[in-house]
Amino acid sequence: MSDLDKAIEQLRQCRPIPELQVREICFKAREILIEEANVQIVDAPVTICGDIHGQFHDLMELFRVGGDCPDTNYLFMGDFVDRGFYSLESFLLLLCLKVRYPDRITLIRGNHESRQITTVYGFYDECIRKYGSANVWRYCCDVFDYLALGALVIGAGSSVQPTRSTDGEDAETKIREAEDEVEIEVIGLGGVITRQMSRRDAGMINSANLTPSALPHLSSSGPAGALLTGVPGTGASGNSRGTSTPNAPTNTGGAVLCVHGGLSPLIDSVDKIRLLDRKQEVPHDGAMCDLLWSDPEEIDGWGLSPRGAGFLFGADIVKQFNHLNNLTLIARAHQLVMEGFKEMFDSSIVTVWSAPNYCYRCGNVAAILELGEDNSNAVLRSGGEEMLFNRENTRRLASTYMGGSMKRGGPGRRYRVFEAAAQDSRGMPSKKPMPYYFL
Amino acid sequence: MAVPTRFAMPTAPGSASSADKDRTVQQTDIDALVSRCSAVKTGYLSDPYAELFLEPSAPRDRRYPLINRGTYIRTTAIDQIVAGFLSQSSKTRKQIISLGAGSDTRFFRLVAADPSIDLLYHEFDFPQVTIRKIEAIQRHKELSTAISEFSKLPGVDDGPSFQADVGAGSLQSQNYYIHPLDLRTLKPGTPLPIGIDPSLPTLFISECCLIYLTPNEADDIFKWITTSFRQPSQSATANGVGIVLYEPIGGDDSFGKVMIRNLSQRGIVLRTLQRYSTLDRQKERMRILGFNTGMGACDVNFIHDRWIEQREKERIDGLELLDEREEWVLLAKHYCVAWGWVESSLPSGDTNDLTFHNWSQLPVQQT
Repeated sequence: MSDLDKAIEQLRQCRPIPELQVREICFKAREILIEEANVQIVDAPVTICGDIHGQFHDLMELFRVGGDCPDTNYLFMGDFVDRGFYSLESFLLLLCLKVRYPDRITLIRGNHESRQITTVYGFYDECIRKYGSANVWRYCCDVFDYLALGALVIGAGSSVQPTRSTDGEDAETKIREAEDEVEIEVIGLGGVITRQMSRRDAGMINSANLTPSALPHLSSSGPAGALLTGVPGTGASGNSRGTSTPNAPTNTGGAVLCVHGGLSPLIDSVDKIRLLDRKQEVPHDGAMCDLLWSDPEEIDGWGLSPRGAGFLFGADIVKQFNHLNNLTLIARAHQLVMEGFKEMFDSSIVTVWSAPNYCYRCGNVAAILELGEDNSNAVLRSGGEEMLFNRENTRRLASTYMGGSMKRGGPGRRYRVFEAAAQDSRGMPSKKPMPYYFL
Repeated sequence: MAVPTRFAMPTAPGSASSADKDRTVQQTDIDALVSRCSAVKTGYLSDPYAELFLEPSAPRDRRYPLINRGTYIRTTAIDQIVAGFLSQSSKTRKQIISLGAGSDTRFFRLVAADPSIDLLYHEFDFPQVTIRKIEAIQRHKELSTAISEFSKLPGVDDGPSFQADVGAGSLQSQNYYIHPLDLRTLKPGTPLPIGIDPSLPTLFISECCLIYLTPNEADDIFKWITTSFRQPSQSATANGVGIVLYEPIGGDDSFGKVMIRNLSQRGIVLRTLQRYSTLDRQKERMRILGFNTGMGACDVNFIHDRWIEQREKERIDGLELLDEREEWVLLAKHYCVAWGWVESSLPSGDTNDLTFHNWSQLPVQQT
């Protein structure tokens, strides 16, 4: 077993690794990340995850629900650190996996991957507490500067292959006939399918932009179609490192842009993101800052963000950006969503939130988003082991997100919803003062 | 603010010794004070006195922006309610009684802002808490001088201006009293503690205090107030008694359930939360228990959005990046400020002169 594998094993048990080893891994990680593009190209199938925030045991739950790395191809949209008690172990585990399986895990930068923010929100203090000096914090911050700003998922299918329910009698479960293409599937708590929505059901899809998933030659392995302007493509190396692959035409009907926060008034194309000099601390303003800080909001155009950094942007902005860049969806994180995920603006953008019971206080569930491969939908795990089936919860989820108001047109997507890891295994240090309520 | 020892759940899971629980509770009190100091240090609040109540060994942590903001809103909201009470018929002597005052600095802030204010101020809390407070007052000249100056009788230059009994945790002066007492002894028929004048227009304050009592004990305190300060049907002079509460609400949703669970693991039970879980229930509580001239209730999120002037809000936004917006809204919707008052009408029939007139002008949340 290599030292790296040993480090991964140790970190999986939530035990920190020695400072010297951290330094070495951070150095190797930087060598890999420096080769990555600002907007990393990632081939579907991929599982997209939102904020983790140092909730190590919940990250383990995420891997249990979504499959282990490298079996599952992962894309984490930043905010690995701060707030939770195990930022260090969470980030280092993800980083070790990146070094070990660079083609099977993509890490992009969140607004908390920053020197300034980590000194306010806990990661700095945690490093001092666990190592007695700021060295490890410094090594990690140096890695932060090299993380990609976004990723572009290509080759995602327009439907997901429906998961077979284990409980066909359940009234909430709608199993579609095989010929129906399932565009959205939600697997709620305990692996119970809470919703399957077929494209045919909708009757309102703009099929011109979509590729039927049944045609094999349209999978990402071949640049068969006509060149679509502005579509960044790939020769389908089958991995997540697209830097050496020239942009090639694809006609799978558009890509999915993944970014931590959202859009920027200074960025009207994905290409403009590519021009940024990202290897620096997150600036207080400007395009790079906006990508990591902005939020979608029910407004027209742009608005000031109450966060004090980034902007608010409305449906018109997203739709125009997606149209101009031939995107079918923007996936982002950054905002707590009580139900784990939230599609907005006619499913042109989705927020994915992967920290259940955020800050051990918020009472929310978490989600990950699976995008299947065009045509084949290779990733088809059954949803986790049997846990308590919370009927009320799944019903609420179903009615919240799958109400008739949702228009469809994006890639096929499967959301897996999960809860916080069992309380005893969370290992919340009892000595830690909790000033999280006003008493 | 302080969580009295006696309210700690006696059989907490993994039951700690009562000394341990005392320490936990004291830590909680200090936590609240540390939060206040953090909000002061970060520029949210102006309060030179908070730091003086921190014991030398206490941590001086900087809190998350969300906690700073919550501390700021809580303080500012009650400040506005208090200002509304004090500014009306300002020449009339007024009385404020703070229940479970803990290390609250409001008395010192009020008299510093207006040394000529005609005010009688009382604080009630458990002896463990009042002893600490009086020790701090004796430790810091700024505090004892503030009390002396404010209690000086006209024409008397020297002489003892206040008496403090550290062992008992009591302090008495012309205008400021600290009473070591168990709030649960207050029920209809309980005589008024020394120095309290039921003829003055009076405001009671409970910041996260009554929530730890059983619903019946909390209701008894309301009834004690409204019977002890019974208002005539008509009065020629300013009169009336009011109360303002700041406490958690909404224990029914997932955030609330986690809150109840987390706090109970620390031995803290929010006993009245279920009975007074919504803004409507808080208003109904006021009405039924005798504060029936007027009443209102808003959650902290509403207060943040509607009670703070735009310019001040921009100042607050500029202090720190708030990367906890959704969390803030979630948290802020689980705390409320509720108020109610009972007051006789004036012979003139002029409502503008009523003691609690200003309270009827506060922006209220539609429920």
